[in-house]
Amino acid sequence: MTKRTRYFLVGAAAILVVGLCTGLVAYYSGGLASLSAAQTGPSELTYVPADAAIVAYANVREVMTSQFRERFRQAMPQPDEGRNELLKETGIDVEHDIDHVVACVLPKDGEDGGLVVARGRFNPTQLESLAREHGAVVEDYRGKRLLVAQSHDGHRQPTLAFLDPGLVAIGDEVSIKSAIDAEMGGHSVLSNDELMGLVKDVDSSASAWAVGRLDVLRAKAHLPEEVERQLPPVKWFAATGRVDGGLSGTLRAEARDEQAADNLRDVVRGFFALARMQAGSDPKVAALLQTLQLSGTGTTVQVSFTVPAEVFELLAKAHKAGQ
Amino acid sequence: MTETPAAPAPPTPRAPGFLQASLRIMDLSIGQMLWSRRTIFMALVVCGPVVIALVIRLITSLGVPTRINGAAMTGPAIFGLMIWIFYLRFTVPVLGVFYGTALIADEVDDKTITYLFTRPIPRGAVLVGKYLAYLVATGFVVLPSVALVYLLIVPINGSLGTSFLAFVKDLVLLAVGLAVYGALFAFIGAWFKRPLLIGLIFVFGWEQAALAFPGYLKRFTVAYYLQGLVPHAMPQDSVLSLVQAIVRQTPSLGSAVLWLIVIWVVTLYLASRMVERREYVLDQ
Repeated sequence: MTKRTRYFLVGAAAILVVGLCTGLVAYYSGGLASLSAAQTGPSELTYVPADAAIVAYANVREVMTSQFRERFRQAMPQPDEGRNELLKETGIDVEHDIDHVVACVLPKDGEDGGLVVARGRFNPTQLESLAREHGAVVEDYRGKRLLVAQSHDGHRQPTLAFLDPGLVAIGDEVSIKSAIDAEMGGHSVLSNDELMGLVKDVDSSASAWAVGRLDVLRAKAHLPEEVERQLPPVKWFAATGRVDGGLSGTLRAEARDEQAADNLRDVVRGFFALARMQAGSDPKVAALLQTLQLSGTGTTVQVSFTVPAEVFELLAKAHKAGQ
Repeated sequence: MTETPAAPAPPTPRAPGFLQASLRIMDLSIGQMLWSRRTIFMALVVCGPVVIALVIRLITSLGVPTRINGAAMTGPAIFGLMIWIFYLRFTVPVLGVFYGTALIADEVDDKTITYLFTRPIPRGAVLVGKYLAYLVATGFVVLPSVALVYLLIVPINGSLGTSFLAFVKDLVLLAVGLAVYGALFAFIGAWFKRPLLIGLIFVFGWEQAALAFPGYLKRFTVAYYLQGLVPHAMPQDSVLSLVQAIVRQTPSLGSAVLWLIVIWVVTLYLASRMVERREYVLDQ
């Protein structure tokens, strides 16, 4: 081997090693950062019971102040009546008073429960007055103040709970009490390794995400066999969305086995192909569909998408033309 | 006068074994391969993506968003597309064809194969040595190119750390692709008289067509098993790609790895055996 060849090989190897080392350092830095954090996900997860089937998070403030929302509002103007009414009745301005929310679905035999925990700036006096006006009764449960509405149709009773200053929970009474128990007893979803594994995999910069066990929900739902057979054999899913100028997101699902994943990929691929053929004459829609990407190997199926800001400008133009 | 007894003849050195001979041939061939005219082609093929990555990086550093077909794309997504389009679909099979088919065919064409075959080494070691040289020469050009593209492209709205595992998978996959395509075309080069033409027909004719038809035909391609391992979404940038995506089947990880190993071992063994047994008649 000549000196020139040797120098070339050493140089090429050096580039490769630099690439690998840089990636490795970046990979482990991310890993160490998440390890050093007190916990995975928002702190409100302590109020999510361990048996939750679906957990979701939304950074309301980020979404509300994003360019995406502004463009969406311009493209499709919505009346502010609902927002104003909520502000007048409860003193809550959705746009400014809510920072983020954590929601969960709790599968129970018979009727599923659930709750939403919201972090923000609330006026407890105004909320309590409003609830009392509508017939709610005040309860105390393990030191937390609950406003339990009367349910006349036999369903679970809607409840509002003041968990901490700036933290309220809305849901049915049973779920709210489970949430308080979870937080006090330490049996929150943080102890559910399987679900927390999914939460850990979620991009920490996502504006909203949801993870869940569909097989658990399905088992509790007692669906007819015919319906059960038609549903995709998905064990769990993880969806993330990021909002900035546009909207991008990823939906990841874990199928029961590789065969089921292949079938699911084929179905999704078929939908994509059909949509692309339908949109062939419209270059804008075709470009939008081009951002749909199907990936995943083994039992994982992943679909990602990006809605560029220009789409909203097109929608706005179409809206104006319609008017 | 008495004759002085002749000094005993030095012992004849033992002929090197198969592995030693292969490594010696590899050492001899790497330089030849790297500094041949074919290298200009290889340099163009692997520098193209790096230049494109550099241009994209420069454009984004000026604040211009990266768009492909009008859609905004992140660095990791662009990196995935580049791995598919530039490396997996083009660079790896094309380098496999050009270098693999030339391992023996070049020596035959240059009428220099006689010099190699008169050496006291197994004939099969000549092929294996040249094959190892091909792996080193192409691997040390293609893989650093991928590393540069990774470093340039992925940080655009993406994270090097998050994409690291996919990058490592890409490197392994491309190395496997070079190894398997190289072995296959080494066999074709040792067997056929016009190996380059047959190789090009295989890569751009047979493999593309078989992947576009539903059914089992795609199992007789290397791309079917190789593409099944790619950690990135398959781009649908042309009608053929769209059709391939519709009829695409993904083999399981175990099956893909197993079949790639089978193709690699069998074709390399057959190529070596072909060189061992074949009588090469050189045109005068």
